[in-house]
Amino acid sequence: MMMLTTMRRFLLLALCAVPHLARAQIRASEVGTVSQTIDGTKISLEYSRPRARGRTTLFGTSAVRWGETWTPGANWATTLDVSKNVKLNGHAVPKGKYSMWMVVRQDGEWTVVLDPQSHRYHMEPPDSSDKQVRFAARAEAAPFTEVLTWSMPELRMNGGTLVMQWERARVPIDIEVEPTLVMTLPASDAEAYLGSYSYAELDSAGKPAKSMTFTVTHEDGTLKGRWDPEDPYFKKFALIRIAPDWFVPGVYDKNGQIYEVLKPEMVFEFTRANGRAVSLVVRDEDDHIDATGTRKP
Amino acid sequence: MPSSLSRRRFLGASSAAVAALLVPWRNAWAGTVGPHPTPRQGITGANVLTKEQLADAPDVIPLFDSIRQIPEVVDGIRCNCGCTNPPKFYSLLSCYESDGMARHCALCQGQGKLAVRLHTEGKTLDQIRAAIDAKFG
Repeated sequence: MMMLTTMRRFLLLALCAVPHLARAQIRASEVGTVSQTIDGTKISLEYSRPRARGRTTLFGTSAVRWGETWTPGANWATTLDVSKNVKLNGHAVPKGKYSMWMVVRQDGEWTVVLDPQSHRYHMEPPDSSDKQVRFAARAEAAPFTEVLTWSMPELRMNGGTLVMQWERARVPIDIEVEPTLVMTLPASDAEAYLGSYSYAELDSAGKPAKSMTFTVTHEDGTLKGRWDPEDPYFKKFALIRIAPDWFVPGVYDKNGQIYEVLKPEMVFEFTRANGRAVSLVVRDEDDHIDATGTRKP
Repeated sequence: MPSSLSRRRFLGASSAAVAALLVPWRNAWAGTVGPHPTPRQGITGANVLTKEQLADAPDVIPLFDSIRQIPEVVDGIRCNCGCTNPPKFYSLLSCYESDGMARHCALCQGQGKLAVRLHTEGKTLDQIRAAIDAKFG
């Protein structure tokens, strides 16, 4: 008995001494991660990735039974970690780390379950509790996927779509993050900036290098700017207020969604006289003035 | 607009990338991290790097000289580039001392220049903090 204990201790010490050997294992369901930051919110998912391994049907079989509370992964339950509060399919999810489960159904929507006990084995699905976040998710038909895959194929400035795919099922989950910027500006606040400005880009010596007209409008509740001649990248862009009289540009894609906000690289700082903006400077992240503008009569 | 912007963004991204490579714990563009520090009583600019210590980065000497003049302001500002973890770090002033991270970091420099400008314009520490949060937070 003493000999056996000594040997066990020796083996344990040997494993501790060479951790890289202990980690070097080939798994049927290798560990994978998906991580994405959206407007300062980090969303991370860690999961073991089961393979179909010749099985053409998985859902509704002994692998994943209908009605089962199943972790969309293998081994230790898939975890979801969000650094700030988010909404998943419109349901509030407080920041934190959760084990992730799905109640799979042959007909109707599946139920996603986020359990605050993040470290659970896949054979131990949690009982229903009021500490869980539960919401419905639609399972769609999709081309066969051999290895269970989580991905984030769609991104917006305020969210994206998290997708689980395995066998012929695809489950998209909409993510909405807390925005750090407010795109809209009340008409009463916008009034002071509206109009046209003589605008000049400055060279490295601070002298005017290129002149144009800069026009500020208020459309669909958002302050917008554009240059004439038009800039092919910016076209008409959002002016997003970050401080009194300070704005940063938000560039729209072809679908009218803002996909890039140039902060701190480009800050429009307006100066007022009698309550009305009369001039502006554009400063970069180095506080260097790149352009100036003066309201046109 | 596009030509100057592209160049500026390229330079900004390059310097940020160089800074990130040189100081791996720095998480550039990391955003707001905690509250602003309270300026330490009796703080001086004596430890801000000198022109002799900045011989390899002459372009930033004027900025370091300006920072040295307002330690009581810069010591009350949190650096937004994610550099709050290094030992002995306390405030944006720390970026201009010791190993002088601000010599490479575009965000430290930008925040420093904004602080100097707004202080020159007569803004209070709270107003300067708010402006730095708005632009770099």
